[in-house]
Amino acid sequence: MTIASRLLVIGAGPAGLEAAAAAADLGTPVVLVEAKDEIGGTPLAYYATLTPHLQETHEAMQGMVARVRQHPHIDLRLGTRVVDREGEAGHFQVTLEDKAGKRTVEEVGAVIVATGFQHFDPGRETQLYGYYEYDDVITLVDAEAMFKTGRIVRPSNGQPPERIAFIQCVGSRDRQIGNQWCSKVCCGIASKQAIEFKRLLPQAKVFIFYIDMRMYGFWEDLLYWKAQEEYKVNYIRGIVTEVIRKGDRLLIKGEDTTMGRPMEVPMDLVVLSVGMEPSAGTREMARIFGLPKESHGFLATVGEPLDTVSTPVPGVYVAGAAAGPKDIEDSVSMGGMAAAKAVGFLNRLKVAETV
Amino acid sequence: MPSDRYQEVPLEDKLRLFEQVKADPRFDDYLYGCYECGICVAACPSARFYDFSPRKIAQTLAREDVELFYEQLNDDIWNCSQCFSCVRCPRKNNPGGLITIMREVAVKNGLRSTKQALAGYTRIIYKIMTTGTQVSPDMLQEDAFPDWGPGVKEVAQNLALWRRALPPETLHTTGLSWDVEERTKQELYLIWKMTGALDMIAQLDEGLHDIMEEVMEEALEEGGWSTH
Repeated sequence: MTIASRLLVIGAGPAGLEAAAAAADLGTPVVLVEAKDEIGGTPLAYYATLTPHLQETHEAMQGMVARVRQHPHIDLRLGTRVVDREGEAGHFQVTLEDKAGKRTVEEVGAVIVATGFQHFDPGRETQLYGYYEYDDVITLVDAEAMFKTGRIVRPSNGQPPERIAFIQCVGSRDRQIGNQWCSKVCCGIASKQAIEFKRLLPQAKVFIFYIDMRMYGFWEDLLYWKAQEEYKVNYIRGIVTEVIRKGDRLLIKGEDTTMGRPMEVPMDLVVLSVGMEPSAGTREMARIFGLPKESHGFLATVGEPLDTVSTPVPGVYVAGAAAGPKDIEDSVSMGGMAAAKAVGFLNRLKVAETV
Repeated sequence: MPSDRYQEVPLEDKLRLFEQVKADPRFDDYLYGCYECGICVAACPSARFYDFSPRKIAQTLAREDVELFYEQLNDDIWNCSQCFSCVRCPRKNNPGGLITIMREVAVKNGLRSTKQALAGYTRIIYKIMTTGTQVSPDMLQEDAFPDWGPGVKEVAQNLALWRRALPPETLHTTGLSWDVEERTKQELYLIWKMTGALDMIAQLDEGLHDIMEEVMEEALEEGGWSTH
């Protein structure tokens, strides 16, 4: 049987876009499948600006998006899902289904899964911090929606908040919830948003309640120090135990551990820094391609720390947050690496075939 | 939880003092931000003996916690020995320097707690500001320094003789640490006056201030200096 020359990339977020463009640039024809009607993934869909430089997301990603849309070697299928797979490396027969329910079977030689993450739902099992009870308790994602409008108000009364608190590690680093991992980006995003709150509401007091601030590499001074020194954001080590209503405000209870005192302070707006979980698409691709999961439920890779993209299934690679919490830098880097591995794999199969 | 001490003091008074500290030209150079690593406390000799933390000073100012700032302005700042071991701060903060500024604001405003903290130092302030020297040999009395052992008594009994045994003639003194030349004193007086250091004492101890001012005016007049 002839080796299929095409590469299937599943998911058109930063990792999938980079993987598709890189493979196509290397001369491999790519089928890029995206369940949504737009490409750009979670950052473009939900985030007004990106860490660490606070560029507007559309502006930052427009080159990446245009490159894929215009690439002659990329066959882009929007509103399309992978629903079934037969065959194996070199000869995958993948069934795609569009929104109308129309199915086609495509033959591809290798696959890159870039189906990403979903944000932790703070009411999924246990109600956390009254997210579904109080209008003024929102998530990082809800805050981004406000930043897109440029208007920051308390959802309860439409007034600008005077006191804003972030609660870190919601749905992360928690054995009780079953998510023992750090989601990597929430400290940076909260710091970015704290800066943005202060830019829009200079009189507001902004607090970030944290366990450890995890500000990798240049995020340390570009976001953390900047928020603290230039914008006077208050970082308080101690996680809030509960949020209760007091009058028309919210009272948050916790411990200011480094000052050694309990604390009960009123807030107007509470932002939950929700972490990352494997997306429904990621879990579905694990099932369809028979991909083992690592201990946290993300897609397992075999060669870490030196190979971050090869799954235990020959010919199937993973890029981005489908393999665990990732920032955009890591996702894009993985996308490029997955493309190189997948194209190399297809080339080796072809060489073996001709010998 | 905000500090609940000094609740009788109106918030605007606390804010006014806080703004004075922040307005000091050194402030921005002494405070960046604090990530609470604790290196300043680890290096601080006072922290080993008192309930005192240079970290909390920096943290409080960085957080702009006015209530806690006021508490520290009254209670904590006098536990610092101003050794500046805390300047190893990786964020380049200077907690000791912040305390210097806070002390100056406390003194300038004549806070009651500051008067109490410095009450025992009247004689020392007088001595330093009028002579430029601090501890003098005749202060080394057996009852004042029992921890120095029996030798203190022997030295105190024949102090003038012991002092004359020291080679430099300028140390043949008992009431001062060393001989301070008139011109040196006059220069010091000029510095105290022109930097406003003398005026700082006015709120703290009016009587002491007036006495020192008289001493200085007279000496400067004799020396032919004009401070106007």
